[in-house]
Amino acid sequence: MFTTFFYTLKAKGLDVSLSEWITLHDALNKGLNNSSLTGFYYMARSILVKNETDFDKFDLAFEECFKGIKSENTITDTMLEWLDKSDMMELLHEEARSFLNQSEDLQVDKEDVETKFKDRLKDQDSEHNGGNYWIGTMGKTSFGNMGGNVGGIRVGGSTGYQSAFAVMGARKYKDFRNDKMLDNRQFQMAFRKLRQFSSKLDIPKTELDINQTIDATCNNGGYLKIVMDKPRKNAVKLLLLMDSGGTMIPFTKLLNELFQAIHKSNHYKDVKTYYFHNCIYSKLYKTPECENGDWIDTEWMFRNIDSDYKVIIVGDAAMAPEELYSDTGNYRGPNGGLSGEQWLLLLKQHYKKVVWLNPKMAPGNAPWREAETAIKNIFPMYKLTIDGLNEALVKLMSR
Amino acid sequence: MNNFSSTDEYIASEELMGSVNIAIALEKPLLIKGEPGTGKTMLAKAVAKALGKKLLIWNIKSTTKAQEGLYTYDTIQRLYDSQFGNEGVDDIANYIKLGKLGEAFESEEQVVLLIDEIDKADLEFPNDLLWELDQMEFYIHETKRSVKANKRPIVIITSNAEKELPDAFLRRCIFHYIDFPSKELMEEIVRSHFDNVEENMLKNALDTFYEIRTYSQLRKKPATSELIDWLNAMMIGGIDPNKIKAELPFVGVLIKKDEDLEVVRRRVN
Repeated sequence: MFTTFFYTLKAKGLDVSLSEWITLHDALNKGLNNSSLTGFYYMARSILVKNETDFDKFDLAFEECFKGIKSENTITDTMLEWLDKSDMMELLHEEARSFLNQSEDLQVDKEDVETKFKDRLKDQDSEHNGGNYWIGTMGKTSFGNMGGNVGGIRVGGSTGYQSAFAVMGARKYKDFRNDKMLDNRQFQMAFRKLRQFSSKLDIPKTELDINQTIDATCNNGGYLKIVMDKPRKNAVKLLLLMDSGGTMIPFTKLLNELFQAIHKSNHYKDVKTYYFHNCIYSKLYKTPECENGDWIDTEWMFRNIDSDYKVIIVGDAAMAPEELYSDTGNYRGPNGGLSGEQWLLLLKQHYKKVVWLNPKMAPGNAPWREAETAIKNIFPMYKLTIDGLNEALVKLMSR
Repeated sequence: MNNFSSTDEYIASEELMGSVNIAIALEKPLLIKGEPGTGKTMLAKAVAKALGKKLLIWNIKSTTKAQEGLYTYDTIQRLYDSQFGNEGVDDIANYIKLGKLGEAFESEEQVVLLIDEIDKADLEFPNDLLWELDQMEFYIHETKRSVKANKRPIVIITSNAEKELPDAFLRRCIFHYIDFPSKELMEEIVRSHFDNVEENMLKNALDTFYEIRTYSQLRKKPATSELIDWLNAMMIGGIDPNKIKAELPFVGVLIKKDEDLEVVRRRVN
């Protein structure tokens, strides 16, 4: 059974190493789980999982492996489905709740509730809502979710937890998953990956290495001996091109966060930001408002911003095919005689490293999103999530 | 046997206590992560106090090198001394100073070692400590002496997740993520900090605090330490508890960013 657990964890994408697995057995031998399944759950999690973003995967694996165990506390999948009605919570007004509370079981002691819960769990065989005996939602017995009863056991739902299965049922760590949209701090963390100390590059040794000089001098019997080193500075230069307005409006907050994160990571040699609307044509705007006139020539950018800038394009690539393919496709400004696609190809030609981040990318080649698929063929495109951003940054750093 | 439970000043959840005890029993470093202000650093102090052990704190900064935790060889001092022909210059051992990790190893009694904010250091920092934390020993090249732990210290490491830690390092740790405390636990935590807090004040402050935390536009949500400061300020200022919700006195203690203050003011009015 335990070996199954190991492979289930692996199957859920958790990279559990053999040494951690042995540590878990060591802990089991020492009886650190206090002989309880809940104890085992927390113990295994603290030993095997090293990142809160993976808690959800662990929960799923744990449930898959141990839900079959004849434990009186076991809450099966289906039972949780019956109870998963938390969106109805808002319908339940204060008044209704207080009315329900008056009706029965108001004074209950904990043990009594627990015994009854287990008894009914054994008896119950179907979904049940709104009644006053079986476990279900909206009811007024002491068990189940969203019931108005104040003193009863809660199953799933949004309040605190006690047992392992209650935690799993709640899937509390769902929001920490790597593939979720990310926040500013996580953006910043990701952008730290993007650094390249120029000491690795082929440049002359121009900086006095004080520590080495002191050591060398001391070893030299006190006679001065100078050691020089290559300066350690981040050599990464960044060019950020952001889609603004229109279909990007729902993502304004996300883009704002991304922008903030890049500017807070002040370890880049240089950061330049320009904006475009839907696709890149002969002009790039200086502000996110994309006002005509307040722009630079895209060709000027090619001339003045070196090809060793790393380019991040952020956009949803949602546009009509003619916006990409026609040389009069830009409905907001000049096309400059070329189609959007040709401008993108020029960009690709000029800059060595370009990635496209898309906040709502369709998986694979989506035929209903022609422009997106076409752009995927030009630039490597990643979804704007932690995983996606990390992959994109690795791509930018690769040689 | 060492066993950790909540102290008067530090209220730990059951899972956290479990993790601490597992880490102690398995003799592995305990890695603590969590939102800022959830008491990561406080934990080590509480553990040391609960077990009656000495606490050594190694504060990590962006410039900290792993070597500094083990020992430093004060070459400059030696150079100075040699100019004047001081005594003992010929013995390198006089110029070897042990770092916090070295101190923890050399201590006669078992100590609690806190490596605070390990993620502040360079990306390679944790990797440089793998062997030392695993074997609890290191070698001083200059004097050809190896320092080995007399009693394996209890190592607690905190991280704010500013950088990802290397896998090899993580595999050797017991991991615990401190959840943001529930309202009930928070009430207990607050009570542990204040001798007598007025019921009405506590209730109103907690309600407001958790309400503010639900505003999704906030860039930095207020955490436990801000709440404590806020309550403290209100108690010293003698604020009428009934006015907390409507007027948000001393809200600057709770919310630190201008943009966030704006959000909170807009929502309240």
